[in-house]
This record gives sequence, C-alpha cells and structure tokens, in this order.
Amino acid sequence: MNDMELDALLNAPLPERDAGDFSVLLMERVTQHEARPARILSWISAGVMVAVFAAACLFGASAIGHVDPHMNDMLIPGTLILLSLLLSYVVSEAARA
Amino acid sequence: MDDGTLVERAVATRDVAAFSALARLHQSKVRGLLLRLTRGDHAAADDLAQETFLEAWRGIGNFRGESAFATWLYRIAYSRFLMQARKRKPDEQLGDWDVPMASGESGSHARIDLERAMAKLTAAESAALTLSFALGLSNSEAAEAMDIPLGTLKSHVLRGREKLKAILGEPS
Repeated sequence: MNDMELDALLNAPLPERDAGDFSVLLMERVTQHEARPARILSWISAGVMVAVFAAACLFGASAIGHVDPHMNDMLIPGTLILLSLLLSYVVSEAARA
Repeated sequence: MDDGTLVERAVATRDVAAFSALARLHQSKVRGLLLRLTRGDHAAADDLAQETFLEAWRGIGNFRGESAFATWLYRIAYSRFLMQARKRKPDEQLGDWDVPMASGESGSHARIDLERAMAKLTAAESAALTLSFALGLSNSEAAEAMDIPLGTLKSHVLRGREKLKAILGEPS
C-alpha cells in the first residue's frame, strides 16, 4: 500500500451514527443531573428540620423541668439531633462527589 | 444555528435545548472516535460518549472558546477513554476489532481492513490518526485534543502510518 492509498483510507469520514436513542438517553441524564441539587437540598432541609424539632422538644422539656441533663432523658433527643446532623453531612458530601 | 451561538446560549442560561442541539451535531464524530479507540466495542464507546457529553454539560461554563467546541469535546472523550483504560484489569483488555459493522455503515472490505489494522495500534497512535485525518483537525488541534506536545503528536502520526502500511501491506 502506498501513501496515497493510505491517505485516502484515513481521510474517509467515520460512519455516520444516528442520534436517536443516544440523544434521548443523554437528555434524560442531563435532566437528572439538573434535578440533583434540588433533591439534595430537600434532603438537607429535612435533616435540619428534624434536628431543629428535636432541639426544640429538648429545650421545651428542659424549660418545664422534665429533663434532667444528667439522666437518660437526654439520650433520645440527643441521638436524634446527632443522626440528623450526620444525615445532612452525608448527603452534602454525596453532593460534592 | 452554529456552534458558537449554541454554546453561548448553553453557557449563558444553561439552556438544555441548546446543549441538546450541540450534542446532536457532534455525537456521531465523538462516538466514532471512541468506537475506534475501544476497537469496535459499540456499548463501551457509547457509554464513554454519554460520559463525555455529561462532563461537557457539567463543565460548559469553563469552556472559554479558545479552541473549537468539537476539539474540546474530543479532549474530554480522549481523557475519559484513558481514565477507563487505566482502570481496566489486565484480563479485561480490549480485543481485536471483531464486531461486524452494522448494515449501512459503509462496510467495504478496505474499511474493515483499516479498522482491524487500527486495532493493532496503540490508543495514542489510533487517536492521533483519527483526529488528524478522519476528523479533519489540524496537527495543533489534534495535539490539544490529546493534551500532548505537537512533536509527540507528529511522532504518533508517523509511527501509526508506518505500522498501518506494514499491516495493510501484508498478504491476507
């Protein structure tokens, strides 16, 4: 094979591919990607809301003297707050990945 | 509408429709390049092409227009291919070009021979030849797409051509 024959082969355009299914799938993925921040924000908001609610319950209970900071009463609301904050953190880390 | 206008719209307002039009314009060439690099593996090439366009959408705000949009896409596609090739286990290496061409894919014997010969080149040689010839990029654009110096691109082209001539010259 000489240079001219090789050039002719190499210069031939690549086969044309139909955009159909490929474009549809791509646009679905782009749309999902665009919806991601809103989805993540809603998860974070839910986490923060639970944390605030648990903190409010704790504050209310302690204000009327039903919670002794040294007793096990602190355990459930405290765990709830921690779990909520942990959930928010995990979701925000996932968003960054 | 030309690339420049569509890119402007996609960057300025994150216009999905404008990006969709860009993807339709360029998908065939990006998929063709990746099909060659994956040695005829249609599924792997299309997965990589999807990743390429998705990455382009994520990063379109960083596109400064210093190169053609197509060159920028080829650059993403080639780097995606290299990233995947590095992750591949030794027993998952790509094989010879053994997938028959679909009907209507101008499957002349010469073309099939060329694809089989291309599969024997290194990825860099195959990419350099495809970008410089079939996709019509200048040497400097091809070097930019592959993120390599111009001299290295020319070496890949030269070596690839010599290998192809030897392979295609062999009696079958």
